Amino acid sequence: MKGITALLAAAVIMSAGTMATAAGIDDPARASHYDAFKGKRVVFVPIAMGFDLTEGWAAGIRSALEPLGVKFDIRDPNWNTDAGAQAITSLIAEKPDAIVVHNPDVQSYARLLKRAEEAGIYVIQVNMRSSYSTDGFAGADYVGMGERIANRLIEKCSPANGGNGKIAIMQGVLTAAASAYQMKGLDNVLSKNPQMKVVSNQAADWDATKARSIMATVLQQHPDLCGGVGFWDVMDVGTGAAIREANKKVYWITQGGGNQAACDNLNKNLYSEVVSYDVPAQARDIANIIQSLFQNKPKPGATKTTLFSPLTFINNDNMKPGACWTLEKK
Amino acid sequence: MSIADTIAYWRYRLVPDHIVGEILAKRWIDNAIPFTILIVVLVGFGVAVPDFLSIGSMTALTRQLGEFGLVVIAMTIVMLAGGIDLSVGSVLALANITALAMMNIFGLPVGAAFVITLAVGAAVGLVNGLLIGYLRLRAFLTTLVTLIIVRSIVDMLLLKYAVQISAGFVDSDLWEFIGDGKIAQVPFSFALFIGIAIVVHLVLSRTRPGWHLMAVGGSRRSAHNVGIHVRRTVCLTYVVSGTLAALAGFLFAARLGGAGSDTGIGLEITVLTAAVLGGNSLGGGRGSAAKAALGAITVMIIINGLVRVGAGSGANSLILGLILLAAVAIDVRWLKNRHKVLAKVYVSPAFRRLPDPPSTERGSASPYALNDRLHDVSVIGLGEIDGPEDVILDENDHIYAGTRTGDIVRFFAPDYSQQEVFAHVGGRPLGMAFARDGALICCIGGMGLYRIAPDRQISKLTDETNRTPFSVVDDARLRLADDLDIAPDGRIFFSEATIRYEMHEWPVDGLESRGNGRIICYDPGMDTTRTILRNLNFPNGICMTHDGESFLFAETWSCSVSRYYFGGPKAGTVETVIPALPGYPDNINRASDGTYWLALVGIRTPSLDLALRMPGFRRRMARRVAPDEWLFPNINTGCIVRFDERGRILDVLWDFGGNNHPMITSMREHRGHLYIGGILNNRIGRLPLPDADPHWTGPQSYWGGK
Amino acid sequence: MFGVANLTQERIVLALALGLTTVFSIALPGFLTAENLLSLVRSVSVLGILGIAMALVVIGRGIDLSLVAVMAVSLAWTLHMVATGVPLAVALALGLAFCLLAGIITGFLIAYVEIPAIFATLAMGTFIYGFGRYFLITLDVVYLPDAARSIVWIGSGSFLGIPVPVLVFGGVCLLGALFLRYVKAGRYVRAIGDNLLAARITGIPVRPIIVMQYALSGLIGFVAGLVTATSVASMNIRVANSTFVYDVILVVVLGGIGLSGGKGGVRNVIVGTLLIGVLINGMTIMDVQYTVQNVIKSLILLAAIVADTIINPRDEQTAQQGDI
Repeated sequence: MKGITALLAAAVIMSAGTMATAAGIDDPARASHYDAFKGKRVVFVPIAMGFDLTEGWAAGIRSALEPLGVKFDIRDPNWNTDAGAQAITSLIAEKPDAIVVHNPDVQSYARLLKRAEEAGIYVIQVNMRSSYSTDGFAGADYVGMGERIANRLIEKCSPANGGNGKIAIMQGVLTAAASAYQMKGLDNVLSKNPQMKVVSNQAADWDATKARSIMATVLQQHPDLCGGVGFWDVMDVGTGAAIREANKKVYWITQGGGNQAACDNLNKNLYSEVVSYDVPAQARDIANIIQSLFQNKPKPGATKTTLFSPLTFINNDNMKPGACWTLEKK
Repeated sequence: MSIADTIAYWRYRLVPDHIVGEILAKRWIDNAIPFTILIVVLVGFGVAVPDFLSIGSMTALTRQLGEFGLVVIAMTIVMLAGGIDLSVGSVLALANITALAMMNIFGLPVGAAFVITLAVGAAVGLVNGLLIGYLRLRAFLTTLVTLIIVRSIVDMLLLKYAVQISAGFVDSDLWEFIGDGKIAQVPFSFALFIGIAIVVHLVLSRTRPGWHLMAVGGSRRSAHNVGIHVRRTVCLTYVVSGTLAALAGFLFAARLGGAGSDTGIGLEITVLTAAVLGGNSLGGGRGSAAKAALGAITVMIIINGLVRVGAGSGANSLILGLILLAAVAIDVRWLKNRHKVLAKVYVSPAFRRLPDPPSTERGSASPYALNDRLHDVSVIGLGEIDGPEDVILDENDHIYAGTRTGDIVRFFAPDYSQQEVFAHVGGRPLGMAFARDGALICCIGGMGLYRIAPDRQISKLTDETNRTPFSVVDDARLRLADDLDIAPDGRIFFSEATIRYEMHEWPVDGLESRGNGRIICYDPGMDTTRTILRNLNFPNGICMTHDGESFLFAETWSCSVSRYYFGGPKAGTVETVIPALPGYPDNINRASDGTYWLALVGIRTPSLDLALRMPGFRRRMARRVAPDEWLFPNINTGCIVRFDERGRILDVLWDFGGNNHPMITSMREHRGHLYIGGILNNRIGRLPLPDADPHWTGPQSYWGGK
Repeated sequence: MFGVANLTQERIVLALALGLTTVFSIALPGFLTAENLLSLVRSVSVLGILGIAMALVVIGRGIDLSLVAVMAVSLAWTLHMVATGVPLAVALALGLAFCLLAGIITGFLIAYVEIPAIFATLAMGTFIYGFGRYFLITLDVVYLPDAARSIVWIGSGSFLGIPVPVLVFGGVCLLGALFLRYVKAGRYVRAIGDNLLAARITGIPVRPIIVMQYALSGLIGFVAGLVTATSVASMNIRVANSTFVYDVILVVVLGGIGLSGGKGGVRNVIVGTLLIGVLINGMTIMDVQYTVQNVIKSLILLAAIVADTIINPRDEQTAQQGDI
């Protein structure tokens, strides 16, 4: 709402301005710009609503597009790939102007996305990409992220830097794109650094409780664990709890959309560092891609834009107020 | 009739109360609730979601429905045999990745991939089947474990092959067609689903393996005891289930082409929901392919509709949970109470005003005045025969009588102390007559019209007639063939007392007095059966008149005797012969002097006569009072009446003391004696008739001397 | 020595657990230490607590598939309320009331409406999750707010060197055992599970007892939720949609409590829980992948069921119809 109000205010001021200086020239791009959005409809198909990433994206896209007169809908498959496929299938029949898709894995939607483009719908993918490249992609570069995290761990734990090289990896669901790509990145670096020893590489299924008991056991076996990486900050709340309870000092790097909760947990020393792929920025990227598509009107599937999100490594030393974002109350 | 009576008469004549009970008694009514739910859901989403019912939307829906429906059928088959298969979701995922690996990585042709995929599914099913069928493990737990194991295997395969699968590309038109093609505007997978549903329906309802399966589910112990291979049957259901789930997985692979990690997760719950919503019961015995399809469609519409409504994730679960609860609750209550409701509303009495009964006062001038002339009856087979409804004698003077145990017993002349089972017919033998060739034609309650040749060969003449148009009750099948007689041209006319009740419920038909009976003609020359008179009030005895073109018939609950002309100038008309009897008429047979004998099975009571004019009273009685306490026609004491074609009462024989032969349903005159039977009696009575022709026999009267 | 006839599933599983412990102790350095053993029990304590709740219901010939949903939603709501300024005690009381109410509704549906337990609880689980997600909380994951710091000891503290969750597990076990043995209602639960019709004829208030059974299950679920939420400082209600509830059923059944009711007790749950604990702990130490762990866990479970069936075969003539 705030966004809309601000925009309305801006519009009022602007029109007032034009009235005051009646002799001013009209921006020639303005009319066509607004026309491009009239009656357009964008539908967002996430994996599920109800967690920081998807809620953040939805809010961001909504606040960017709705003031332009674009209708924004959400179809929530609630963690069910098949329901998601159903949603996209029926969307193809409904023909909105653009679909924003959050892929559960690299393949399930690939064919449907292709069909959607063939049906004349723009398809933008967010954060987790499918094997089929569509009009747009905005999200983290997971392979690169894995590499950077591995380097950061080497920096902290390599024997050369005073550590003992023992690290642990806490994956989410093994087959999720975020897990698979990131493991690739981690492997790229770690395989060249034999001084680093991965003592545990487990999948906690995005579940904090499971992460907690895995970490508790790992710490029993390796009380001298130096560091590690977890694939989602929400899950790593459990990992952090286990570390804190064991009274150990482990340099734990986690990652996520940079929600305020992550910063809070950083403050509470649940983990040492958060890699944030700034969800509001991603939402802005998506909105930008959509705006560009609506104005330039390329044939769907004709152009492919990829916008990798900049990654921020936030820790207690560099954390500033406002490093994390909060979802505005509806 | 008074005005009130007239109103009551038309009220109960015009309002078809009986239809409610008849509809409730239908087997397809079992599907009424699931079907209603489906309609409600369909209309609900049709209103809530714009163009939900459009062609494009329906096509998308039916494509997914095909896969889902196959899995629901798989689950239903297992449930019918009393099991449960929670592993279907995992098997679908395994089949999905198998098919994709075969196509994308190993580059096999579609056919080979298809066979291998189904084999994988069948193999998992076989493991389930061996464990549950042969080792007798608990189905719920075992399939829960296989669910986890197969799921883990899928995860491992995914780790290994996911990248390769996504890299591969299949260039096959057939593969495209399976995933995306249509047969006459219907998506391939949906067409396949419908085809398989029909096959499963036929197998379950028309073949031996299907019956075995239903028997095992209905009562495992009984199935075992009658020699069905219970273990093998149970095992096979899991194999079939695994194969069908694999087929669904194959279709899934062709449609989406993606090896997702959450494929089929939680599917078992949705599938179970669909199966139960459709009306298949957990624990087996009740269910069908149609129910499975019904449930599958409903659940698919709900899930798809909820996603498309676009409510928040919580709202989806909220509504799904509520619908599930409501549907199962309604179904449970319905199942539990349907029979109670049915028992209450099935009996739907009609208004009937009987003419005043003639007096039976002893010593009065009434032709029906009580006497004790049956006191002199001598008794045959006392205590050795159970319920001879009809008795008949052949040219050699042997007595034939049907019994409650499904036999036709023969007592040997001359002293009738010896008996044998002439034929075992299985049903309840009622009216009998000898045909021209000497064969015994017999109405068998619950079975139909049968012929027993002199060499004791039993053959069915007919057990069905033409169905009445628009009748809710399927009245094609004969329920209660009661009495028959044979016309000179060989046609057999027989009465069916009621089409609404089974044989043992015949007194309830009297309570109803609606007129549910009919007279049917079987033509042995053409081998055809046609109904000739409908809506008779418990037609019972039938006897050919001597003119060869009409017969007399008694309507028990109307206390009347009528005459129907099937030939001659009056063909097709009905004449009343005796409009008012003091009791309930049963069988009619010829007497030696050209008149007729009529048995009255019981005597009217003023209370029931009054009740017949108060249908509301009888309805309340049927609903609120236990059947044992209902007001029934009296059938303890009756008498034998002799009358002529003009309806004059010539003679009446009573057993006032009720000592020798109180319960009478039939009588035959034979060589100067009257032989008497009673459906609830344990003897055959024999009464000498001093005035009768001592040489007259029935077969002679019908077919002439030999 | 037990004779073969005495080999109940409980004993087989106990023997398996002891055998595995021995093998792991020899093969895995660091397995047989006091810390590791405590951590082992601790890691399965929530599973065990839920197992007791499930066992109470299963002994009464029911099943509670809504258990995890009730646990997750009630705690998430409690935490959410605390975060929005409701006093901790009030929030806890409301959360508990929510659990009891959910249990009573479920019980009512099963006892009075006569919906089969498996469906009533399945649908209630879905409904409760949806209700919580739609009306009570905004995001799937609710973090423990600072105002609730005072209860963190339940999940993270320890007393006399023993982690509190283990103590809670022990306490729930003890209470459960006492309930089943010495409380009239507890004995009724067993009687109903053994033969519902006979129980009804003898005058046991069958329907109220069934309602109580599910209310009790909700109550224990709340305790398990408290332990979970305080030990990981958050509650993720998506756990309601996971297969966690299957794990709980496995623990119960593994210990030898038949799903047909009337049999078993708290001891069976403890045995089942321990076996799962030993397995998971040992395999995590060996760094066995999660998926492989699942396979091994399931195969052992399958072996236990098969062994039980072979030793105590079911009879074609006495098996109950519809007993799946």
